[in-house]
Amino acid sequence: MNNEIVDLHLNDPQVRKTWEDFLTSLGITDFQSQETAAIDFTLGIYEGDKLVATGSAAGNVLKYIGVCNKGVDQGSRFNTIVSALISRLFQQQVFHLFVFTKLKYSESFQHVGFHELAHSDVAALLETGDSSIDDYLDAIPRVADQTNKRVAGIVMNANPFTRGHRFLVEQAASENDVVYVFVVNTDASLFTTAERFELVKQGTADLKNVIVVNGSDYMVSYATFPAYFLPTPDQQVDYQTTLDARIFRDRIAPALNIKTRYLGTEPLSRTTGIYNQVLQRELPPQVAVKIVDRKTTTDGTIVTATAVRKAIADDQLDSLAVLLPPSTINFINQHLESLQFRIKKGMNINGN
Amino acid sequence: MEIKQTALAGTLESSDIQIMLSKGTDGITIDLESDVEKQFGDQIRKVITDTLAEFNIDNVKVKAVDKGALDCVIKARTIAVAQRALQTQDQPAWEAF
Repeated sequence: MNNEIVDLHLNDPQVRKTWEDFLTSLGITDFQSQETAAIDFTLGIYEGDKLVATGSAAGNVLKYIGVCNKGVDQGSRFNTIVSALISRLFQQQVFHLFVFTKLKYSESFQHVGFHELAHSDVAALLETGDSSIDDYLDAIPRVADQTNKRVAGIVMNANPFTRGHRFLVEQAASENDVVYVFVVNTDASLFTTAERFELVKQGTADLKNVIVVNGSDYMVSYATFPAYFLPTPDQQVDYQTTLDARIFRDRIAPALNIKTRYLGTEPLSRTTGIYNQVLQRELPPQVAVKIVDRKTTTDGTIVTATAVRKAIADDQLDSLAVLLPPSTINFINQHLESLQFRIKKGMNINGN
Repeated sequence: MEIKQTALAGTLESSDIQIMLSKGTDGITIDLESDVEKQFGDQIRKVITDTLAEFNIDNVKVKAVDKGALDCVIKARTIAVAQRALQTQDQPAWEAF
């Protein structure tokens, strides 16, 4: 099986060891289970019985790509493995792909048709396929004469939409002509993407200058910022959020004339705390960062979605009235059983 | 004519070209990545455009990654991807060859 593409089954301990040893020899050493568990399939090329190239896919993100160029044309195995990954994903109807890679490999990916979304000193994020960030931006609604308006942006997961979110949006809406609320697209939360989006829409329906938009793959998504959804060391959170912030600063904000990004202070989540710091470091001066203090209830408790999810799990719905706008309360009352069922089935409610 | 679905043909191997078609609204737009873009970019685009014209496709987004393919290869890959995109691969368009 010289130079043929084969499937590597990583649950076979021997294959797994060969694969890890090979990647380690190339400087890829992060085999934490939450990273490798997300892998959908892994391909490899053997020369004799030696593994000489490999690549994996997790959802629409290419991962763990490693190639040994000994004895062959520079780049030929890289092209073969990337080509095979793309074809396989296309067969699965995945037409829009991302890769998060070390900066020095960004160019190699650009040679096979990827376009860079952003890079930092260490890493780069690229995309390829049938749609691009430009298509995404073109499809976002705009108001007349937007270039002369004061425009702000907020990114939120809103799992679910609370009075705290509402407070943040109100603040931004009162200080700007237009406010874009980008709802995180990745479906890895207790409330599904469609539910979260709808609740943000309902909860802001009376604010006429607010436009609710799906954040797609470009804001706090599994592609740009996996650490938001997985427990991750601080350093890596910093790498990922730097890219996320730069995509916002260099691509999204200029296209929509967003001059200010609003953030809620984050006393409770470490990951979001780091994210906020990185945004303050990366966004100015192109985009101002405005931090709005967390909303507290009249007796001083901080309003968080985490508390809401806990109340749902504990069946303590009475406590929700102070935390949630009526639209979200209605939704929870109507779907309580299904939400509690998701928690029972193992949906993590302590993350984001 | 417009295509029915996103489709892909070809690989990124040396001497090949990988072509993807997806729905477009702005005529035929070609995003070409090639090491010989300067010398052969126009020729590659022409072969793709002419071949698509034989299938009457006039509204499509083309993404092509060329690795030094000859014209006959570009044409063959374009035919394959066009038929996949139109879901007509079970009726080969012999006259296009």
